[in-house]
Amino acid sequence: MATGIRDKVAIVGMGCTRFGERWDVGADGLMVEAFAEALADAGIERARIEAAWVGNALDDINVGNSALPAAHALRLDKVPVTRVENMCATGTEALRGAAYAVASGAVDIALAIGVEKLKDTGYGGLPLRTKGVQNDLWMPYGSAPGTFAQLAGAYAARHGIDPADLKRAMAHVSWKSHQNGALSPKAHLRAAVDMEKILGAPLIADPLGLFDCCGVSDGAAAAIVTTPEIARALGKADPVTIKAIQLSASNGWEMQFGGWDGASVPNTQAAAARAYAEAGIRDPRAELDLTEVHDCFSITELVIMEDLGLSDTGRAPTDILDGRYDRDGAIPCQLDGGLKCFGHPVGATGLRMAYEVYNQLQGRAGERQRAKADFGLTHNLGGTPFNSVAAVAILGRLN
Amino acid sequence: MTFGITGLGGYLPSLRLDRKAASRELSWSGLPMPRAGFRTVASWDEDALTMAVEAARSLCAGVVPSALRFVSTSAYFTDRAQSAIMVDALALPRTVRTSDCANSRRAATSALLDALLSGRDEMVVAAERRPTQPGSAAQLAFGDGAAAVRTGPDGAARLVGHASLTHDLVDRYSSQEHPFSYAYEERFVRDVSAKELLIPAVQAACASAGIAPAQVAHVACAEPVGATWRAVAKAVGCSAPNHCEGLSQQAGDLGTAHALFGLGLALAAARPGDFVLLLGFGSGVDALVFEMTSSVPGADTMAAAVSEGQALTSYSRFLSLSGSLALDWGMRSEFEQKAQATVLERVGRDTIGFIGGRDSTGNVQFPKSAMPVNPVLDKPEVLQDVPLAGLEATIVSVTADRLNFTPDPPFDFGLVQFDNGARVLMEMVDRPESGFSVGQRVRMRLRIKAQNAKLGFRTYFWKAAPLVRPFLGDA
Repeated sequence: MATGIRDKVAIVGMGCTRFGERWDVGADGLMVEAFAEALADAGIERARIEAAWVGNALDDINVGNSALPAAHALRLDKVPVTRVENMCATGTEALRGAAYAVASGAVDIALAIGVEKLKDTGYGGLPLRTKGVQNDLWMPYGSAPGTFAQLAGAYAARHGIDPADLKRAMAHVSWKSHQNGALSPKAHLRAAVDMEKILGAPLIADPLGLFDCCGVSDGAAAAIVTTPEIARALGKADPVTIKAIQLSASNGWEMQFGGWDGASVPNTQAAAARAYAEAGIRDPRAELDLTEVHDCFSITELVIMEDLGLSDTGRAPTDILDGRYDRDGAIPCQLDGGLKCFGHPVGATGLRMAYEVYNQLQGRAGERQRAKADFGLTHNLGGTPFNSVAAVAILGRLN
Repeated sequence: MTFGITGLGGYLPSLRLDRKAASRELSWSGLPMPRAGFRTVASWDEDALTMAVEAARSLCAGVVPSALRFVSTSAYFTDRAQSAIMVDALALPRTVRTSDCANSRRAATSALLDALLSGRDEMVVAAERRPTQPGSAAQLAFGDGAAAVRTGPDGAARLVGHASLTHDLVDRYSSQEHPFSYAYEERFVRDVSAKELLIPAVQAACASAGIAPAQVAHVACAEPVGATWRAVAKAVGCSAPNHCEGLSQQAGDLGTAHALFGLGLALAAARPGDFVLLLGFGSGVDALVFEMTSSVPGADTMAAAVSEGQALTSYSRFLSLSGSLALDWGMRSEFEQKAQATVLERVGRDTIGFIGGRDSTGNVQFPKSAMPVNPVLDKPEVLQDVPLAGLEATIVSVTADRLNFTPDPPFDFGLVQFDNGARVLMEMVDRPESGFSVGQRVRMRLRIKAQNAKLGFRTYFWKAAPLVRPFLGDA
């Protein structure tokens, strides 16, 4: 009987670059920046890294294929380095690989690092890629905002919500993230924006306006994981531990079979249920102190709040407008600004979320510090609402 | 046994350029332009093939035709048979004989006559999307569209007489080095085409039918220039209306498809017992006389289609859609997909035919897969073919995407749900003024899926469209 990885893996060091338009540095430099911070935080030498997982979602566009760019950049000497890619869930996937290696006893210390250099594409938004030679014959070539925007119409139809009211709740999501991003020194976007500007922005994909969408960024983030015993030996008296990491991937049911209403993301629901069970969380609304979720678009965050069980079905707009997920709310979401404002270098994003929770759990989040921070959840969502990979991780402290 | 027409089909693109708006845009030039009426405008994702398929669809129910003849002077592929692609798009068996005809506006009436004389149940489909040059009268006079005719024994309109003349009268031409139609002086064309070609052909065809031209009740004459039929009618003593004239006014000159579409309009107006004269012009004349015995299926639908559509008043949008204006669409437009022949061989017929698969529980899915998507099934099974192109569906989710490149923004797409269980992520076309919405019913239209300009290749797939089009007057 599987027992999961709760408290079998500790995070002893993390690093995260400033996200944004990093014209000054390439993917290798970004990885070095995040890695150096993580090593210093862990208080170990590079030679102690026994295995590494590098997450990079858009390899051909920027970083290059395979794990070698990471091995080269970090000069990892004859270390088993593995590249993982699972769309926007790539960063959490890298952490999962490293954590599983430690939990299995295969290695003592492992590295998870995620990186993306999206501003080398020459235009805003995600790079264009084939969907595969067979899918290209029939599958529409919509943009990322185009796919997620469809949640909004389906959500409004399912719950009988006036699209204007839904738009206002969506705008509050973005407003809140901009408020938080302004307090986040490494964030890509650090300006607060008022509601009128958000509501009046030009449309990108109906009904998503400019401020309903996260941009894309350059950046890297890294985590060094080990056993709790080694963590203590490194001087971490009450180390941050991984309570759960769970992943759920679509099998085509949502977009090919007639059972899905288009107003939720079943993979988030599945990954969350398994993560809560693995972490021993019985009442997430009462036990979680903060969340970092995949707010690629405002409507995505709204739906995620229901999929994670933090809002009742159909109630997320009300909870959002009531401030439940604001910085001073019951369960603040995106204290660092989220994808919306901290930025979204795809392969690094899951680890960036963990970085914020990791700092919050240790009381190191500066102006953004949450008074009580015992359990934090991160959520990555790759692909589209109808063809997704969802990852949910829960972090806490060992004691 | 007498052969005749057993069914008709027509297709006109939804967009209709208001000639007034276009000529006003060019008024500074002083160039002579047609100012009245509309011309049909194929969207960026419509070509002769897609329109031919749309015109032919209604004629494919029931008995499979023995042959399919595709006719166009503007087909995209020059060494890949459009008719063969049509066989897959229409989900016809590969045993259907196919041929492609081109190089003359008259090719469609010649193909029809050959089909009628062949003694076989055939389908003749003509379609046109001709390139035109800004400033030319042809740009506003031409239109895009398609017409299809099914032939068979004892049709509702029987062929009772015919005559053909071959005559290399160069009224206009296009060539590899001059793909735009180059036109000569109208008075010369009118005088010579009437006297040397049309009048003798009409007289010979009527004689062949054993009637006088005065007995003809309706005419479909694809004129080389305006008022030619009037000159012919006066000379031969016929007062029948030419239904191609109204078509030119409302939709434009459809090239090879013009005579066949006009025939549909003539047969829609005719009554049992009427004689209907069809005249195809170009490098000669084909004259066919039909006697209508009963109403021809599809004719009324063609007549109704002429008055449908959405008015297009932006001349620059028209220029862009028709390929006359190359806008800088930015870096996102640089991405091109490359179709592989191996993949087309493996799944191309199911894709362009929109063939889904039914599993052992009855659920339908698209595309087919070795392991069914139905969650109650846990073993591979062979799915049974289910054509989806003819079915309606309901929009589950949709957006108007303004980020990704499309030649005619916004890019509407979303999930559509078929009543048989199939759910497909699809592009949407013929955008209504109010856009698409969840719950809206849609029908399927064949369109260009991807265009690789560098390699000169395109692929085709179905897109969801509103069930009905607005009346042009309401647009």
